[in-house]
Amino acid sequence: MRSETFLKISVGAFVAAFFAYLFGPLIIMSLTAFNSSQFPRVTPWECFSVEWFDVLINDAKLMNGLRNSLVIGFGVILIAVPMGMAGALMLTQVGRRVRPWYYTIVISPILVPGVVLGISTLIFWDRMGRMFNAGYDSIFYDGIFLTILGQATFISAYAMLVFIARLQRFDPAQEEAALDLGATHVQTFRKVLLPFMKPAIGSAAVLAFLASFENYNTTVFTILSDETLTTVLASKVRYGINPSISALAVIIVSLTLVGAVVYEILKRREQAAAKESELVARGKVEKRRRQSPLFLDPAMIVAVLVFIAGTGTVYFAGTIGLEECKAAVLAEKRAKTERAIKERQTKEMFRQAAPTTPDPYAPAVEEAPKVEAKGTEGYRSIFAPSTLEGMAGQESEEQKENVEAKGTEGYRSIFDPGNLKGQAGTEEKKP
Amino acid sequence: MSTWISNFYHRNGTALSIFLLLSVLFWVFILIVLPQLFMMDFSFRHNLPPADIGGAKDVYTLENYQYMIYGSAQSEGSYNTVDLTVFARTLIAAIFVTLFDLAICYPIAFYLAHSAYGGAARLMVLSLIVPFWVNEILRAFAFRIMFGATGVINNFLIWAGILDQPYDFIRNDVALYAGLGYAFILLMIFPIYNTVESLDRNQIEAARDLGSPWWRIHWRVVIPYAKPGITSGCTMVFMLTAGALAAPQILGGPSSLWFTQIIYQWFNTGNNWPQGSAYAIILLATCIAFVLIMMKVFKVKLGEIAR
Repeated sequence: MRSETFLKISVGAFVAAFFAYLFGPLIIMSLTAFNSSQFPRVTPWECFSVEWFDVLINDAKLMNGLRNSLVIGFGVILIAVPMGMAGALMLTQVGRRVRPWYYTIVISPILVPGVVLGISTLIFWDRMGRMFNAGYDSIFYDGIFLTILGQATFISAYAMLVFIARLQRFDPAQEEAALDLGATHVQTFRKVLLPFMKPAIGSAAVLAFLASFENYNTTVFTILSDETLTTVLASKVRYGINPSISALAVIIVSLTLVGAVVYEILKRREQAAAKESELVARGKVEKRRRQSPLFLDPAMIVAVLVFIAGTGTVYFAGTIGLEECKAAVLAEKRAKTERAIKERQTKEMFRQAAPTTPDPYAPAVEEAPKVEAKGTEGYRSIFAPSTLEGMAGQESEEQKENVEAKGTEGYRSIFDPGNLKGQAGTEEKKP
Repeated sequence: MSTWISNFYHRNGTALSIFLLLSVLFWVFILIVLPQLFMMDFSFRHNLPPADIGGAKDVYTLENYQYMIYGSAQSEGSYNTVDLTVFARTLIAAIFVTLFDLAICYPIAFYLAHSAYGGAARLMVLSLIVPFWVNEILRAFAFRIMFGATGVINNFLIWAGILDQPYDFIRNDVALYAGLGYAFILLMIFPIYNTVESLDRNQIEAARDLGSPWWRIHWRVVIPYAKPGITSGCTMVFMLTAGALAAPQILGGPSSLWFTQIIYQWFNTGNNWPQGSAYAIILLATCIAFVLIMMKVFKVKLGEIAR
């Protein structure tokens, strides 16, 4: 019996630890979005602020990437969902000997690494463009077009799996009945098969959009000189991080939570409706007229109110008294720095005054690296707020440079030139 | 073949036949097969300026593949240790990440399938999915914040007195492995969950009644039954880890490279597309070999892996 309880406790602890691993990073990242510190961190906590959301919205590059991501997402839906459906329908119709080969080919994009898909798409259309002697401004070198195709390659396979799962429950007799009753093939498809596939079309579209929206590995090769949200994010995260990215994460996490809550409510309503219709069928209760519309559902109203109240509270808490708090933190930092300087000065005085020191330069040499380290460490040093500003300035300059370089180098240098450093490093190491 | 076409045409009618055939042909040839063949072809060519492509100098060569093994032509006799080490390390690290994910996901999948009920189970499934709707880059970013020099983990360890200096988790790749393991948890849990869920509870009860301890029940009853799910999860996680690009770029230490990063560099700054294609082909071949080995050793079909 005791071993049983021990087992139970350890299982509980394991599950708890697992979910801590799952949510811990996201929670900490979300918290950093509300800290006024220039570097995303939780400790030391400075001021509760929502200014990083402002920074985020005013980031033109990020917003441009977001626009492109949305365009690509819808493009992928338009291509991948019909293509996935065609693929699934075809699977039910190809001969038995062809089927394994066909299935292997259309399923392979899921297993092939994303970078390989991106590279092959890039090369294929580059060669096509060359074959037709197309200029670099033609569609063969259009980043958004290539990205839609590259992503559709594997997202169609996801969509196909969704449709296959749905088709397995389809009774072909329905189709035959419609044909026997004189419907044409097109009518049968539109009136029998499509309505049956409707839920699968919806979920395939959502899946396709999400997969496209967060794809990086394929996109980074096919996007050429354009940018999507993920490629902008990746370059930002690599070349210097600031909490406005955490703010974006907060927005995405909240959207996800909202989506999850809505999904849960929809599922509950579906179950309730199924239960009721079952009871009606048994004649136990009278049929109610209709379910209330979704936005009048009590659970939905509560969820919306909680969301609005939460956002409002956070907004006010993050703006009221922010300036005073920041000033206080700054003053504290100054005082700390001054104290440190004074301490050092007194130490220095003691040392210089001390007769035991044979060489007056020795302590200075010893002291020098420390001072320097503070300067270069930048964000690590909490004593020097001015260094932080310097860092931020440098970063934006670097980004400007990136943009310029991209403009001049044409389509071949699509990728971030900032990677040069890493490349140089490896080149040196090679024999 | 011709009877199949006439049957197909008869069954679907004109419009639908054309739609189906065109979509599938476009997908299979223009999107899947031809790009791979073109990439293969490209990987056997010299890196030429655009003017020379298709000219007399545009001949097939093995130099891109030789480079992977021997390095540049000048250093004959010695191996290209940098790239080979990166390649080997990527594969070994991917195997360890896969095993780590298997170790933490199997208990959770089993718990979800056989110990959690009703609302709690649904809440757990939902909370498993939620983190994976968050962008891959942002997930890596979260790990970078956590493992940074002034990150929560370092601050906690210093506060607890375990460390007196911040430990550089990023340089030592701890952050990278934790982030990679995190990124693909869902793809390990769901295949295992799907197979374990269909296991008849009576089999477990019977084993318990016959006096089997819990670990033997798992070893002899549950794991053999869940084998297709475990194989599927391991294959997906391995392939995605070996082919990951974002997490190594963001979380990798300055001195450690992932194989995909080398490919990226050949395209990006190296400006040598044929070389990059050759490396991509090597990655692709490795992945195909891995899937084939998994299918052979664990006797599962491809359809069971990609689900």
